[in-house]
Amino acid sequence: MKNRKHKSDLVILFATLGLMALGLIVIYAIGPMRANVLNSTYGSNYDPNDFFIGQLRSVGLSLVAFFVAFKVIPYELLRKWSKPIIIIALILSALLWLLAKVGSPLAKCELGECRWYNLGIISFQPAEALKLALVIYLADFLARKKEEGTIGAWREFWVPLIIVCGASLGLVVVAQGDLGTGVALIAIIFGMLLIAGVPAKQYLIMLAIVLVVAVGSVALSDHRMERVDAWIATLSGGESSDSTYHIENAMMAIGAGGFFGVGIGNSVQATGYLPESINDSVFAIMGETFGFVGLILVISVFVIMLLRMLKVADTTKPKDERFYVVGVFSWVLAQVVVNIMAMTSLVPVTGITLPLLSYGGTSMIFISFALGEVLQISCYTSREVINYNENTNSRRRVRGTHYSSRSRNSRNTTSKATRRN
Amino acid sequence: MQRSKILKRIVLAAFAIIAVRLFFIQIIEHDAWVAKADEQHTMLETIVAKRGEIYMMDQNEPVAVVMNQTTYSVIIDPAVTDKDGIKAALNEYAKDNISADLDKVFSTEGLRYSIVARGVSHTAASKIADKGIAGVWFQKSNQRVYPEGELASGILGFVNADGLGQYGVEGSLNNILSGKDGLLKSISDVNNVALSIGDDNVKIPAEDGQNVVLSVDRGLERGIEEITQDTLNNSPAEHAAVLVMDPNTGEVIAMANLPNYNPGNYGAVKDASAYNNYTTEIPYEPASIFKNFIFSAAINEGKMDADTTYFNEPYTEIDGNKIWNAEQRGSLNNHTLTMRQALYWSLNVGSIQALKFLGDNPNEITTAGRERMYDYYHNKFRLGQATGIELIEAEGFIWDPHADIYGLNAAYANMTFGQNLSATMIQTATAFSAVVNGGYYRTPTIVRGTLNDNGEIIPLTDDAENKIEDKILKDETSAMMREMLINNRSYKLRAGIDREGYDVGGKSGTAQVIVDGAYDDSMTNLIGSYIGFVAPAGEMPKYLIMTKMWGEGQALSGGEAQELFDVLSNYVIDYMKIKPAW
Repeated sequence: MKNRKHKSDLVILFATLGLMALGLIVIYAIGPMRANVLNSTYGSNYDPNDFFIGQLRSVGLSLVAFFVAFKVIPYELLRKWSKPIIIIALILSALLWLLAKVGSPLAKCELGECRWYNLGIISFQPAEALKLALVIYLADFLARKKEEGTIGAWREFWVPLIIVCGASLGLVVVAQGDLGTGVALIAIIFGMLLIAGVPAKQYLIMLAIVLVVAVGSVALSDHRMERVDAWIATLSGGESSDSTYHIENAMMAIGAGGFFGVGIGNSVQATGYLPESINDSVFAIMGETFGFVGLILVISVFVIMLLRMLKVADTTKPKDERFYVVGVFSWVLAQVVVNIMAMTSLVPVTGITLPLLSYGGTSMIFISFALGEVLQISCYTSREVINYNENTNSRRRVRGTHYSSRSRNSRNTTSKATRRN
Repeated sequence: MQRSKILKRIVLAAFAIIAVRLFFIQIIEHDAWVAKADEQHTMLETIVAKRGEIYMMDQNEPVAVVMNQTTYSVIIDPAVTDKDGIKAALNEYAKDNISADLDKVFSTEGLRYSIVARGVSHTAASKIADKGIAGVWFQKSNQRVYPEGELASGILGFVNADGLGQYGVEGSLNNILSGKDGLLKSISDVNNVALSIGDDNVKIPAEDGQNVVLSVDRGLERGIEEITQDTLNNSPAEHAAVLVMDPNTGEVIAMANLPNYNPGNYGAVKDASAYNNYTTEIPYEPASIFKNFIFSAAINEGKMDADTTYFNEPYTEIDGNKIWNAEQRGSLNNHTLTMRQALYWSLNVGSIQALKFLGDNPNEITTAGRERMYDYYHNKFRLGQATGIELIEAEGFIWDPHADIYGLNAAYANMTFGQNLSATMIQTATAFSAVVNGGYYRTPTIVRGTLNDNGEIIPLTDDAENKIEDKILKDETSAMMREMLINNRSYKLRAGIDREGYDVGGKSGTAQVIVDGAYDDSMTNLIGSYIGFVAPAGEMPKYLIMTKMWGEGQALSGGEAQELFDVLSNYVIDYMKIKPAW
């Protein structure tokens, strides 16, 4: 029961394109420095333009993915195939783990963690696919349970949910050692559960359990505890060490940027001081380059995009589409917030990309695809907020759009008037 | 509450926290982070000034005897480098320069920096660099090269590992040679490569050191050193020092300090005293050579002349001390002799007599005599004082004529024959120049000047300002001294050692060594010296030659030093092509 098709949400469209363009500019400026550092330190043989060309390729592929999702693949198709999609995504992750176990050259490992398929000239990170697959699957699953009225039921709801989510988290966090993607998956799951109307008590209990497990797994892992210690050391102004080097240099880049930044091409931290300057740390380089003003602008773009996605969710009638949008929202929100907070020493460093800005193909392509579907869904929104009483599964009658918009306007006027009094 | 509102609030809350945090880091803490970043980014690099070269004269043309060579140290980051690759490259191109145990370097945990080879030539370094091995870099350094090997090591000195000149001209003229280092301050990347980013970059260019030209003649120096080393090899002496000067200008033409060492490998020297320049740095008792100075003083003051007579006893008693003549033979003892004879036979009683004449009392040493002698020794001949030559110098010691000591007259009696005082060879030779050159004291010099780009030699400003030229003796005094010195050697002419057509004059000196504050009367520890000049017959002296030979526990009379002088005087005549006069 879809609404009549109208124009897509231009804010999300332009925010996406704008962020991609900004990412290109930043990589254009610092890519040659990155190449130079890698060449002189590790004797590799990068051309100064290699990283810009790489990013250009990623953006190109991402745009294709974005518009294919937006215009070619109707969301209904994804819903229909949601189960095979999650199964394939899980198999891809499991297969990678197996290949890594047997030492196959197809599994690409860095620093002891095997997270990529090595496909000749390109590499592919199955965890990114798993994020999208889980959003698609959970949207369908939650919508079905909502229709059945079994949300919150142990056997019909929690058991299958825990199996799928547990398998996903297990493969990503345990087998691939990718805590960053783990955080994103948890955010996706709990964002979608929240909006699906899981009873508050159950929701809080589950959240508590996941947090306890997460904290426990961090405390039991030496290299993760090292990052936490480093984070605490940075916060408390403790001794500098190898572990605090990354975060200190990120803060140095951001701090040195000041109000207006040092300008494009003048970043010094990008010349090898800041690790991962083109990937996970690109926010810090942007802080140095564009300053406080620039960062607030970038953050504002993300905030507006995220709020627009919430608005799309609020005004989308089909529950699966609505849940899907919230899933993508949670995904983007988690990555942006965790990445930026790590760079500003508000949370420990986890190794998570900044959507659409960081260098790296797989992550950008999948998030672009996800946003393309959101844009497609935005073509069918009502002009009225669809309000459910999520806790009881009972629904109000959907109001006519024309009338309701007017009533909303009048309500707003009234409230303003009231406030004025 | 509508649940999507919770998500909206999470978004707004999270980004509010981030905005506040960014404000804190970028606005409030901005200066602190900039300071911290600058500290990390700023590279201060010294631009090393090129050290000046040192030249000697050869056929009146300056020739370089100390030069520079650029070499490279090879530094590796053992953690990232290709271990086998760098090992092979080093073994292939710079095997002799490997300065570290490579296996040990590679097995050291956590080592990120190691200098593995030093002194690698440019060719070898570029060949290693061409291999493109990761984690390998090169540090340039300038190395001093001494193409003449050990030649004139006592004059030249060396440059230590810190680039500081030590001993010799390298040490004394370090400021002129070293130039002034420049400074490069720039923002640099993580590998310390300067970036064009930032407007705070500073570049002060280095001022290269100046090339210094010595007055030393390379060929003569080499010849003198070879002959002297030969003599040394056939003598119980362990050391020898030779000085050849132009007495009319004060220029040093040769200066040998043997045995030499190799300044390019100065570390191989076992005893640091080998670095000393014996001619300028070691004061000693030149002994009877000093008789020339008391004779000159007494003659110049008109108190005596060459043929003034005195009664020569075997010894004379002063302040209760018997001071003996070294030469005790019947034909001399208790005879009336001329002062000329006293000089020829080097009679101590005779030189004390000259002091007595100087003090206007032929029977005893007077205060006036001491004062006049001090005036000559200290003020006119400048003995016991640094001469101002462009080398590291020691001073020396002359008793004050009013010193409050017991036996001051005995001390002065000793000083007439060059004992109980100390002076360096260069002081002695400079004073002797005045005795024979017509009475002019001239500051000695071993540096012609600095060599500019046009090949012109510019005198050192210090030399021009501090040069002393003092007429201290009358022409007649000097002429009388020359005549006596030539005649002192006339038996050498008859022996065929000195040649017809030349005037060669000279005087020996044999000094006892002071051991534990007292003269070693065993006469087993003696230093022999000889000083003289060569001239075409009847003309002014062309060159002054002073020799000194010694060795621990060796009784070396002036005889050995004199024999060395005999050989060298003829060598100088030949080498410098002094034409005979008939």
